[in-house]
Amino acid sequence: MSQIAANKPAPDITGMQEADWQARLDKIASDPRMNEDNTTISAASVRKAAMLMLIIGAVGILVTLIGAVSINFRHALGAFEVGVFTALAISLGSLFWILVFHSLNASWPITLRRQFENIASTIWVPVIMIVIVALIEVTQGGVLLTWLDRSGGYNHLLDVKAPYLNAPFFMVRILIYAMIWIGISHILLKWSRKSDETGDRTLGRKARFLSGAGIPLFALSTAFASFDFLMSLDYRFFSTMWGVYYFASCGLASLSAVAIVATLLRKAGKLDGLVTEEHFHDLGKLIFAFVVFWAYISFSQYFLIWYSNIPEETMWYISRQQHGWQWLFVTMTIGHFALPFLLLIWRKTKRTTMLLCGMGIYLLVMVVLDMVWIIRPMVYLNTTATDPGLAGIWLDIAGVVGVLGIFGGVVALKIPKSPLLPLKDPMLHECLHHKNYV
Amino acid sequence: MSDTHPDQTIALQASGIASVQPVARRQPIIPGTKDDGTLSEDPTLRAPLVLGDRSFSEVTDIVCGYAEAPMPKIWLTAFTIAASVAGIANVMILYLIITGVGVWGLNNQVDWAWDITNFVFWIGIGHAGTLISAILCLLKQNWRTAVNRAAEAMTIFAVICAGIFPGIHVGRAWMAWFLAPVPNSNGIWPNFRSPLLWDVFAVSTYATVSLLFWYMGMIPDVATLRDRATLRLHKGVSRGFKMPMPLGDGLALGFMPKPDQIRVLAYGVMALGWRFSSRHWHRYEKAYLMLAGISTPLVLSVHSIVSFDFATSVIPGWHTTIFPPYFVAGAVFGGFAMVLWLLIPLRLFLPNFSDLLTLRHLENMSKIILLTGTMVGFAYSMEFFMAWYGANEYEFAVFANNRVNPAKAPYWWAYWTMIICNVGFPQVFWFRKMRQNPLVIWIVASAVTVGMWFERFVIIVTSIHRAFLPGEWHMFFPTWVDILTFVGSCGIFMTLFLLFLKFLPIFALSELKIVMPQSHTDDHH
Repeated sequence: MSQIAANKPAPDITGMQEADWQARLDKIASDPRMNEDNTTISAASVRKAAMLMLIIGAVGILVTLIGAVSINFRHALGAFEVGVFTALAISLGSLFWILVFHSLNASWPITLRRQFENIASTIWVPVIMIVIVALIEVTQGGVLLTWLDRSGGYNHLLDVKAPYLNAPFFMVRILIYAMIWIGISHILLKWSRKSDETGDRTLGRKARFLSGAGIPLFALSTAFASFDFLMSLDYRFFSTMWGVYYFASCGLASLSAVAIVATLLRKAGKLDGLVTEEHFHDLGKLIFAFVVFWAYISFSQYFLIWYSNIPEETMWYISRQQHGWQWLFVTMTIGHFALPFLLLIWRKTKRTTMLLCGMGIYLLVMVVLDMVWIIRPMVYLNTTATDPGLAGIWLDIAGVVGVLGIFGGVVALKIPKSPLLPLKDPMLHECLHHKNYV
Repeated sequence: MSDTHPDQTIALQASGIASVQPVARRQPIIPGTKDDGTLSEDPTLRAPLVLGDRSFSEVTDIVCGYAEAPMPKIWLTAFTIAASVAGIANVMILYLIITGVGVWGLNNQVDWAWDITNFVFWIGIGHAGTLISAILCLLKQNWRTAVNRAAEAMTIFAVICAGIFPGIHVGRAWMAWFLAPVPNSNGIWPNFRSPLLWDVFAVSTYATVSLLFWYMGMIPDVATLRDRATLRLHKGVSRGFKMPMPLGDGLALGFMPKPDQIRVLAYGVMALGWRFSSRHWHRYEKAYLMLAGISTPLVLSVHSIVSFDFATSVIPGWHTTIFPPYFVAGAVFGGFAMVLWLLIPLRLFLPNFSDLLTLRHLENMSKIILLTGTMVGFAYSMEFFMAWYGANEYEFAVFANNRVNPAKAPYWWAYWTMIICNVGFPQVFWFRKMRQNPLVIWIVASAVTVGMWFERFVIIVTSIHRAFLPGEWHMFFPTWVDILTFVGSCGIFMTLFLLFLKFLPIFALSELKIVMPQSHTDDHH
């Protein structure tokens, strides 16, 4: 008896017996949906798409670089950052969802979880990019982050904020964020892949444990990263909501991205019967929830600042509403909230693969516009340079497409490296029979 | 039993003459552990939500038994105390109305203090009910079935307590109808641009929808109580009316109608003609889902608008953009603490209660306490960081000089009570053993309830007790009327909750049965 106890990893006395667990694994393995053709995708079949995205990305980056030299360096950096923070939002949000799924022991998203894991562990791409941005900012003495430029002499605000807003601490913080994000996402992917091979169900418990601890780390790192790069674009501005505001985009962007990836996999004839309309329905509900959450957060932030009308806060909105960016304000109100709200409340949108994929693409564009709203108005504020008009728009597009192309290409290359779902997840049997009933 | 007719057996069981509660637990706590069979951390399994290997009819007997059999003696003691305390509240409110708000400790500087603190405290408590019944329903969290009914009831009672304070704090209570935009011959309207008016709308909408949700959910269960009483009357096993008071306990009062006759009438009216037909159930499910959908934005909107009362102002300490989600998280936090605080003792006093509210339920709710407590802690740290980062000396002074620093802040004890209770205490729930110990959970829940009251006190009083000119600095000291009104509101809350325990189905029967293993015979596993 003691020998058996020593050999088997039975977690506790009321837990499942090893034999039962093996029987369940066998049953799942014999499920016709779980055949290898359905659960894996060959590297060859994604290579073409991945290469296309990488080439588009490289061209985009090249155009941005040309724009940096020929049009305006600040503008090119701003366009690049719009892309970087969209890509970061996608991968950070995916990390968030993995943490949530594990902590809640959620079973419905298991067949989708590997895609979240693939996207989250590609976070090194935007992380390298923000390191590049930070190095450019620090070495150039502040391009968009004007607080890095202390040549102006006495500045009360910058003097007060100097213990936080200074180059060395800024770089240290980025290092900490990078360690948290890359560390957690890689460990979780590693365990998930390992359980595919070993069927070790204790890994599920370990993942839950790490996820619980990871949530506060995620919250703080995401909030402060958004302060460092986005809020401090105008060092005078401050908003306690800011971290939550960026987080809302993270949650939404990642769900949209996964809806797209899952649809593409389904179109490639994979995950048939494993990612069904029921899973899309739930994914769609979460997308809907985050459309509303984003609106709630951004409205609250806007409304409280507008109502109180204190100059030190309203200048952030004034610089966006009175300098040719009014159209974006209207576009965001309707396009980022009202329209997707009405479309997603419809059951069919959530349950139809292509429709939800379309919503995903559309909402990613909206997240990009949200980043444009945050970053782009700062480029020509308080400078003598003028916006180059149409050429500037092409530069913006090039920056975003460049970053997202490379990010998407790397994700695509990652997808074939492991099965398309966690094959031996402890709760997979529930996911395979997932129904919404309503 | 074998020589009795089956109907007779059921009637006897249902009557409270035979043992109403199926006493024997067929699945006792696992020997040598404190595990009741729900605490497995094995990720391959879901914990059972109803213990004791119960049949459907046993669950019905257990839940209906609470409303049919006499309550344990302690209920009467608790009710006597709570009702007396509630009486104090009525006296205090009457005293306030006939004398004026001067009986409170308010002064020219601190013109909101315990009144609004109590209002926000109570309205926050209510949020757990809506979260459990609406959001957890949409998220398909099955474990909510053990607590949703009691939490929804608690929501209603908390909103009632909350509703008292805005009405009486305006001074001339007979003008309280001015809170609502009622056409009047003077052409005087409330300010539609004021968050205080939105608050009236938000809270009254919330009260209405919560009440509907609670009541609608209860209809089938009330119909069960009605039918059981009818059955007992038909079978002639109904008890006569007996004196329930400590004095003359058990004295038969022949002239009174039988309790079952009153039940048939009262529950019959409440059940709205419910006949358990599948068509009824179909509509019930639809309506439930719709109300869940309607309630979900309310969970967010009510406390967001309450937070607007403060955050739309330009007062340092009040004006900060994170207030809406921070208030919502705090409300859910405080609400769950109250749910746990109320329900954990019932595991001791009510028979079989711990089979329906298992240790796993408590653990799940502890996790929500940990999560929301940490969210509140996140908001505190954001506020503090931005107060410094914003480089507005007045904003920072509210934190440093009015709240945090014991050398400068007269209310430092309130701030630190808040931090320790709200951020400190819940951190014990990182440890599994602590989440699974009802006593520890109950202590943390008590601390959180205290902490959440202090949070509102800190936000309100420490921000306004010192204005921009030192000549305007005043402390707030509560009077005995302040204190007794608050204590009395707790009495009102407890009285209503105890009445709910005695007279209404405190578990949602149909939902409880859906999560029992017998309902899942079609499962492939």
